[in-house]
Amino acid sequence: MSVLTELAERLQDSQIGDAIAESRYLFPIFEGTHLLSLSFSVGLIILTDLRLMGLILRHVPVTEVLRQLRPYALGGFVVVFLSGGLVFWSEAATVMASPLWTIKMVLVALGGLNALYFELVIAKRADLDGNPEVLPRSVKCAGLASMSIWMLVIICGRLLAYIPRWGG
Amino acid sequence: MGVALRDIVVRIQHTALSHAVSESNHLVIAGLQVLHVFGFLLLLASLTLMSLRLLGLVLTEHTVPRVVREPARLMRAGLTLAVTSGVLIFLSGPEHYYDNGAFDVKMLLLLAALTVQATLYRRVAAAEHASPILARATATVSLLLWFGVGIAGRAIGFV
Repeated sequence: MSVLTELAERLQDSQIGDAIAESRYLFPIFEGTHLLSLSFSVGLIILTDLRLMGLILRHVPVTEVLRQLRPYALGGFVVVFLSGGLVFWSEAATVMASPLWTIKMVLVALGGLNALYFELVIAKRADLDGNPEVLPRSVKCAGLASMSIWMLVIICGRLLAYIPRWGG
Repeated sequence: MGVALRDIVVRIQHTALSHAVSESNHLVIAGLQVLHVFGFLLLLASLTLMSLRLLGLVLTEHTVPRVVREPARLMRAGLTLAVTSGVLIFLSGPEHYYDNGAFDVKMLLLLAALTVQATLYRRVAAAEHASPILARATATVSLLLWFGVGIAGRAIGFV
């Protein structure tokens, strides 16, 4: 952990990290972009999850929803990661002091793995092109898992500023 | 009018509800912030999906009214959550927000976005065969206004 902390401190104190933190506009712009691009990335993923659970757009085949929303969701994730990376650059050591940062990163990794497992295993095994109104349990569970994980990611992200330290 | 409005804000500040929120544990405010972000992201995500359909970019094999029906409901749920939590956050420091320039911009953009949503957007989204140009223009204006609300909202913390 101490090696990581040291690296984070170096990153935060680097020229670019400093420049972002000190700038009147850069930090707010990167943070605002990070937050609002969540509506494309996590937002469209959660709407897809609701479809997987059979709660919305039941008349549209799941494969169609997955295929057509994917480019926008992935594009959103690219922007979220880039802007998030820039925000992190300017406050790496500060945010890593919070337990929520670690939890958030673990959850992001879980969210990614869950999506991969769904695409590579569940979606291949399940019959998604059949009756769009009836979906296997595994698909519904994947949707519920994904939605829960991403909602927790957002909770952790928003609370980072309120819980800055372990135990405090 | 500016003075009269400010008087009202000061009075709100002295209500019991405002006192209760502003003196609550800071984690209560944090919880409200989480709900506010949840509500707003639900609103934006639903709007994004509906607008992508109006722009002719996704699910074009299904009619607009069928695609937007459930997302429109989710958007209203998101709006309700965002407004309710937003009012409570405002009550935690009415004068603080009233004197914030970005807050004014946010409220004006919100008013404009709600107006477009309740009039033009609703009509275009209910039509089986709306003019593609009108549908695209409506989706674009609405996206710009709602994302503008978000940008102004985020700016409140930095002004």
